[in-house]
Amino acid sequence: MKAIEIKDLKFSYLSDEKPTLVIDDFYINEGESILLTGKSGSGKSTLVNCINGIIPHVINGDLSGSVKILGKEVRDMKLPDIARVVGTLLQDPERQVMNYSIVDEVAFGPENLRLPRDEMERRIQKAISVVGIEDFLERETTKLSGGELQRVALASVIAMEPKIMILDEPTSNIDPEGTEQIFRFIQENKNRMTQIIVEHKVERALPFVDRVVVVNNGRIILNVSKEHLMRDVEVLLEAGIEIPEEYIYAKKLRIDSIDPEIIREKLRESNIQLSRRERRNQGEIVMSAKVTAEVEGRKIVDAKLDLRKGQVYCIMGKNGAGKTTLIRVLMDFLNKKQFKVSSLLNIEGEDLSRKDYVIRGRKIAYLPQSFDLMLVSKNVETEIYYSAKHRKIPEFKAIGDQLIEMFSLEDKRMSDPLMLSTGQRRRVCMAAALASSAHIMLMDEPTSGQDFLNKKILGEEIRKLCDAGFSFLIVTHDSRFAYRYGDFIGIMENGKIVHEGTPDEIFRYSEKYGVIAPSDFVLRVSGEEVIS
Amino acid sequence: MYSILDTVISWLLFLFGISIPFYLILGAIGIAGFREITTYEKYDTFYYRLNASVKIMLSIIIVLIATFSIWWIGAIITFGLLASYKSLKNGWRKMYLAGFLILSIIVGTVWGYAPYEPLSIVSMALKTPVSKFTTVWTWPPYFSILGYEHHLTLQSIYYSLQISFRFTAAVVASLLLVMTNTPAQIIKTLSKFKIPDPIIFSLVVAMKTVPAVFDSFDTSIKISMMRGYGGNKPRFLRPFVVLAAAIGSIVPTMVHLLRGAKDIGISADTRAFRAYPSRTYYIMTPFKREDYIFSGVLVMMVVMTVIAIMVGFGRAIPYLT
Repeated sequence: MKAIEIKDLKFSYLSDEKPTLVIDDFYINEGESILLTGKSGSGKSTLVNCINGIIPHVINGDLSGSVKILGKEVRDMKLPDIARVVGTLLQDPERQVMNYSIVDEVAFGPENLRLPRDEMERRIQKAISVVGIEDFLERETTKLSGGELQRVALASVIAMEPKIMILDEPTSNIDPEGTEQIFRFIQENKNRMTQIIVEHKVERALPFVDRVVVVNNGRIILNVSKEHLMRDVEVLLEAGIEIPEEYIYAKKLRIDSIDPEIIREKLRESNIQLSRRERRNQGEIVMSAKVTAEVEGRKIVDAKLDLRKGQVYCIMGKNGAGKTTLIRVLMDFLNKKQFKVSSLLNIEGEDLSRKDYVIRGRKIAYLPQSFDLMLVSKNVETEIYYSAKHRKIPEFKAIGDQLIEMFSLEDKRMSDPLMLSTGQRRRVCMAAALASSAHIMLMDEPTSGQDFLNKKILGEEIRKLCDAGFSFLIVTHDSRFAYRYGDFIGIMENGKIVHEGTPDEIFRYSEKYGVIAPSDFVLRVSGEEVIS
Repeated sequence: MYSILDTVISWLLFLFGISIPFYLILGAIGIAGFREITTYEKYDTFYYRLNASVKIMLSIIIVLIATFSIWWIGAIITFGLLASYKSLKNGWRKMYLAGFLILSIIVGTVWGYAPYEPLSIVSMALKTPVSKFTTVWTWPPYFSILGYEHHLTLQSIYYSLQISFRFTAAVVASLLLVMTNTPAQIIKTLSKFKIPDPIIFSLVVAMKTVPAVFDSFDTSIKISMMRGYGGNKPRFLRPFVVLAAAIGSIVPTMVHLLRGAKDIGISADTRAFRAYPSRTYYIMTPFKREDYIFSGVLVMMVVMTVIAIMVGFGRAIPYLT
């Protein structure tokens, strides 16, 4: 039986003239797992919302055609009835989880269904055990790491016992360990339920799916079994989707396997040398920091690091390792009444240890994960002039205009920054942060939720700025990004930087610390060098 | 004739009333402090064990008592409840933060009422003829455009201070509810009171969102200031710089939160929210011994207030006397 059947579907949001989604004929069989991919704004989420009933029951627009789940027309069903059949795990668990206690969160769905107490008990216990959250049931959801919270969100969906499960970019905000747990669930439940996994990271999801569906400009442009994906690598690349490097070489070398180690051997046999970027770790030290932060007598950060001129220093590690707190200590953003903070901070020869965030802001620019919070001006131009203008730098216009040009924002100069696309907003924020004339930039998860193309643009911008003498301290879970654009990596665990080195050194043993090496690294390193 | 000095003092008094509450809120409490007194933290003392329904009843009864009884009953309740904050997690700190909030409410209310309050009303409320009022300041005539009475009297300030205690008692009791109950406990209680689920859900989302609002707001303001906003101003003006930066941060914070609110709605709807007119609850919160004892205290408070009003301590509303 077909779990999902779509025919002649057209959907336009009320504000749009052209349809956002056009699908002539598409189906998913019961028990099948598919990977739904495409760049940001391609129409993936719209498609998912048509399946889980959010369109047309919550989001209005012009909808025509048919979407059936298990033979029933979505538009004729009530949303709670759809929720009994289709479960949806969202991208950001912090936005999905609404209860304070874990059990209340898992029980939310069954409570809505007014299930008998025994049945509720059975479902809740099963969901808790499936995702393995028994050990921290007593903790508060506000104090869980991203990975733990995502598992709680998953348990709350499982407790609905859906026949169809949609996982909408379930790993984009969590660490590799949390990602592993989510994919383990997908693997264990393959064939037991129909699964739709929406992911940018084809490489991570591919082992767990049967079929790959690519959406571009609101249309399905590729719908193939994963075994046949290699022959369509170009389609994926043209659609701006991140392809594991081994796929490209496998196709080039006409190898059937996509195992990076097999491809690496073949490359060696064929005398093909893969390029390695030169790491820039020789510049003078521009920032030297030794910081600690304590809460309720427990040290949550105790780290020391040096950042060099023109260097990209990536901080990696599991959720809850203290990475974001480290950045917030460096910025003097922590609430001193809650946290006991000590910092020795020297930037470009100036001791800023006792200076607050207002003074530190003259030397350090900061781009938070929720970068929209920076956008306080009515247009892009004013936003980028903001910092230099407030610092009374006479040539603020010249500085701003240069950044507008550098970040290709000329045509958006008078647009409202909050109305731009994610990638454009991120570029405005970077330009606005750099306009403060600071030469050191701290970034918290800048690639989170960004597609391949946006990540590539970001990486290239960062490298260009490094050539111009800027230095970056970046908190990231994205191993591939760190490998491609980073010069130095510090692994954090329990608030401490436990290992530092170049990406080629760190990825040899980083798995022990929950940081999985990207396939780019695996293709370039000799097998015996990897310590697992 | 009014000298320039009189005019300057008048404007300084005007600004005092507007700026001091903001100064106290942003300087002494801060955005992070607000977060602390509006967020539940796990702990195990009397208030945390008390059923949410009892605390909701406490809030309602306090609002009624403060409204219908003489002002000092509201004041006693305010300071009594504030003192009991000591038993909360980080009790001293919460008492300090809530204390400054109460102070800002008192200053704000007094300055919001005293210059405007018609003297005839004050006279009725205090049962004192206007001729016996003590004038503490006389405003320049053009202040009447602001709606000010020509004379600011000691009695107007005194009456406005009384009014402020109608609000403070309710605020202290409401914060107590929010700091000692999880949103789920409040849902269950409100559900028992037959409040419709969509309204309850809105409250829960608000309770979940409040800490996030403060966090996002705090980050947005700090980033603005890091980027040079008000960087050259002296440190003692910092609360006003924060206030000005806060105004600019409202839009990005709201946009950020609204983007999240859509996901919360989808999260609830895709888990069958509103499948039936009412919900069942997995974890029940039974009424315990301390709940009965505290309910008894509430009944006693009501009885004592009724007696107080009957013996003449119910003059809070002049129009009713």
